[in-house]
Amino acid sequence: MNETSNVQRPTLNVESSASVTTSTIKNQKSYIFWRILDFVLAGIFIFAGLSKILDLDRLIADLQQLQFASALADLRNLSPASPAEFASGIDNFKILPWPVSVALAFYLPWLEIFCALALVFRFLYRGALAILSASIVVFTLGILAAKVRGLDITCGCFGHASQHWSFPAHLVTNLAILAGLLLLWVWNRLARPL
Amino acid sequence: MAALALLPAAGEAIYFRDKISWRSAIAPSEMLTVEQARGWGDAAIWVDARPDDEFASDHVPGAISLNEDRWNELLPQFLAVWAPGKKIIVYCSSLSCNASREVARRLRKEAQLSDVFVLEGGWEAWLKKNR
Repeated sequence: MNETSNVQRPTLNVESSASVTTSTIKNQKSYIFWRILDFVLAGIFIFAGLSKILDLDRLIADLQQLQFASALADLRNLSPASPAEFASGIDNFKILPWPVSVALAFYLPWLEIFCALALVFRFLYRGALAILSASIVVFTLGILAAKVRGLDITCGCFGHASQHWSFPAHLVTNLAILAGLLLLWVWNRLARPL
Repeated sequence: MAALALLPAAGEAIYFRDKISWRSAIAPSEMLTVEQARGWGDAAIWVDARPDDEFASDHVPGAISLNEDRWNELLPQFLAVWAPGKKIIVYCSSLSCNASREVARRLRKEAQLSDVFVLEGGWEAWLKKNR
């Protein structure tokens, strides 16, 4: 009996060690997946913020035509975008008075960028997730309300890049982003409960 | 995070203080009344930013249709009629419409035209003063 036990013990240890290694690899893979999602969503919000602060029209057009040399030149000559354009975009929803639209046009792009950076650096992570989720919900409700009221809106959510997007395109994009944010929220809660 | 974003936003607001009006969506210098527009007579060209069907139903005499739905098609037609030095008055259906503002913005930015103005009250205001 003792012999059998002695023979089996190392086998059990090997199995246990293998299972721990497999679990660690799985955890690492899962962690990498969530971090990629962090980076993807952060990238979307950083682009959304920058497209309202900087005039990226030429740069985007050159990148779409794969003219990288021109795109580099555009990068060097970037100029600030007029906040009046984003303020007009907010005003198009006909929900807020003009002065509030102007204030949000100055504030929202920076809020998006800072919250996106918080996702990247995992600093004030849950707060940033909450702010971004709430803002996406508000934008989506705004788009829905505009559609119901028959307003032909120019969203400006991603600067001029989204200017000619259709209503379904806006909606699907927002819902996909919201789904990503909610997934991150759930993962964060499971990994580190409040 | 929310408080931190206030700092650059405030800086931007100070930087753009002369370029954006906190009172109206259109800077007062870019807006004009029906009386002012009539005063310009032939020195100005009218641009109708409403959809095609509304333009077809009625429009300011001599106005040229230039809406965002058919922008690429209509812009060359407009530029063929426009002459340098002529002021441009853009209008849409009413005080609450945005089309005139957008068309005026695109004329300034994409067509690099200056002296582009938006008619206060749009087609409704013009109709009130002229019919």
